Amino acid sequence: MVERTVVITNRLGLHARAAALLVRTASRFQSLLRIERLDGSAAADAKSILSVLMLAASRGTELRLTADGADESVALEAISRLIADGFGEREQ
Amino acid sequence: MRSREDSNELSITVNEFIAQAPRELELEVLAGREGLDSHRFTAPRIQKLGLALAGFTHYIHPGRLQIIGQSEIWYLEQLEAERRREVIGLLSLEQIACALVTKGLEPPPEFIEAAEQAQLPLLRTPLVSSTAINLVTDCLQEMLAPRVVLHGVLLDLYGLGVLLEGSSGIGKSECALDLITRGHRLVSDDVIEVRRISADRLAGSAPDLLREHLEIRGLGIINIRDLFGVSSISGARRIDLSIRLERWEAASDVDRLGIDMRVIEILGVSVPQVLIPVSPGRNLATLVETAVRVQLLRLRGYDAAQSFVQRHAELIKDNE
Repeated sequence: MVERTVVITNRLGLHARAAALLVRTASRFQSLLRIERLDGSAAADAKSILSVLMLAASRGTELRLTADGADESVALEAISRLIADGFGEREQ
Repeated sequence: MRSREDSNELSITVNEFIAQAPRELELEVLAGREGLDSHRFTAPRIQKLGLALAGFTHYIHPGRLQIIGQSEIWYLEQLEAERRREVIGLLSLEQIACALVTKGLEPPPEFIEAAEQAQLPLLRTPLVSSTAINLVTDCLQEMLAPRVVLHGVLLDLYGLGVLLEGSSGIGKSECALDLITRGHRLVSDDVIEVRRISADRLAGSAPDLLREHLEIRGLGIINIRDLFGVSSISGARRIDLSIRLERWEAASDVDRLGIDMRVIEILGVSVPQVLIPVSPGRNLATLVETAVRVQLLRLRGYDAAQSFVQRHAELIKDNE
């Protein structure tokens, strides 16, 4: 199992479209992927859109990602890069 | 003619038009029988010969039906015989697709003679011009509509015309059968003849041979009307929604939120499309029914996914 802490950087936070992109990315991997708010108020399965939405993570929210499975390190890398890149959104 | 797919070069012969024209028109051929199979309509709109008789002949569109009504005939009748011949000569009747005399009027003998010579099909109807024009335009519009043949199943669900698409063997016909047993109606299975009936409307129907039939692997060809009754089939339907069935692996970019409506183009008309991944254990008929209910709500202005996303965005804002 591997884990890493990331911060939401894009202006709109982990909004619906971003969440959909995250789930789609996560679904490509076999590993079990979890996302937790560092403040402990919510945790989600990264492959389930509704639970990811329930994180309600705004900009600046710290999240702990954990991956467990055959492709855990690649999966963790892909998800954290997506979040670090602000889901590819251009900030105004 | 029916399977022609090129929308720009559609045309029909005068004979084909006469065969399909509404019976109320009671069309009779006064002259130019030789031209019935060679003269073609290329546009559904009609023209009134009117000004062309006064010498302004540039304006004659050759592919349209020319209407000859009371005023045209009066005009011709009040001319002296020689001038009348001259005026008729200027029309270059051999270029015109077809002419229709309305109100059961008797055209001047010179005109009939000229039409005969030019092999111009000259038709007559007892109806007045305004009524005849409506009937003719509707009929020609229908016959000249751009068309294409699609592969899939067309059904009527809750009054919406739904096109089920997907590669062969994915279970379109089985899904259609399931929907029919739930009270929905079949328009056509496998081959759908689609016509563009106006700038933003498509109508789909079954080829005569296939109408009412469904092919199910293991059962063969079954007749839906015999098995499920007359309320299980429907004639031509407008196409309102496309539902595409895809194997789960192929459908990786499936919309998880339901906020990005896919749109496909058929004959230049945009049709919303829902992509449904297929895998064992998914009840396709229920999924299709629900997709159609969602679309019905959308058409009435309510989009659950959109309002959910909005509420979610507000929640994130509150958390900032």
